[in-house]
Amino acid sequence: MRGVRTLIVDDSSVMRKIVERALRQAGLELLVVHEAGSGVEGLELLRTRQVDLILTDINMPSMDGLEFLSQIAAQSLAPGVPVVMITTESSEEHVKRAIQSGARGYLRKPFTAEQVKERVLPLVHAA
Amino acid sequence: MVLSLRDSVHLISDPFNLDASVEEVFRTMLGVQCVPVSTRLNTSPESMTAVVGFGGLLSGACVFRCDAPDALAIASLLTGLEFQGIDDTVKDGIGEMCNILAGTWKSKVPELAAHCGLSVPAVITGHDYELHVQAPEFQLRRAFAFEGVSFEVTIVCDGIL
Repeated sequence: MRGVRTLIVDDSSVMRKIVERALRQAGLELLVVHEAGSGVEGLELLRTRQVDLILTDINMPSMDGLEFLSQIAAQSLAPGVPVVMITTESSEEHVKRAIQSGARGYLRKPFTAEQVKERVLPLVHAA
Repeated sequence: MVLSLRDSVHLISDPFNLDASVEEVFRTMLGVQCVPVSTRLNTSPESMTAVVGFGGLLSGACVFRCDAPDALAIASLLTGLEFQGIDDTVKDGIGEMCNILAGTWKSKVPELAAHCGLSVPAVITGHDYELHVQAPEFQLRRAFAFEGVSFEVTIVCDGIL
């Protein structure tokens, strides 16, 4: 898929840049990258921008990634757009909660570009 | 059933898990090979400390400490940018490294991964300060180095259920 419009939500600006770099290294051609420092900012962006892929951290202040996902669904924002959770949490329970909240994929930090290629690109191609 | 980590303390406090976590995180995030050393190589007066708290069945913190020049070197490798001094991006980068280390360390023991949460990172910078924890349940303090850069990681457990 060419020219993917992406939203990256993470309270760390460094992590947002690392995610963007990993997406490019994985071979994804990014048309535009929107960045949000919180779930609240992410929702604001989704009200005015169309995206093809959302990647979000879970552990964030003010609104965590799981609540962000719930709000996307509740407000019917970005229907059909794949969401990938990125987090340091890796237990079965956390993965289950993320999937139940609507995430299609899951990346545990630290991750490699190869893992991004395996887990994120198929979601983009299938969307 | 009452959940407890008491039976897993020997696994949780095993220094091998911390060494393996540091090696994995630095290899994946920075592309460097980190090795344990007996003590930090560099000691400049200005240092940076990032802290990520643990909550749940284990309470405590993961503490990452390095000197200012080493923080700049780590942040440069992480971001691909050059830094002249400690700024918000350097603090953010060191905080994130500590966060990823804390998560990787706790993932080594499944019961810990499932029943222990992480706080968002806090970063402290300053001159000539010491960290003191009163009577922890256990404490792991390890120094590591790569390519002339060194840092220290401490896991402090002040309560375990």
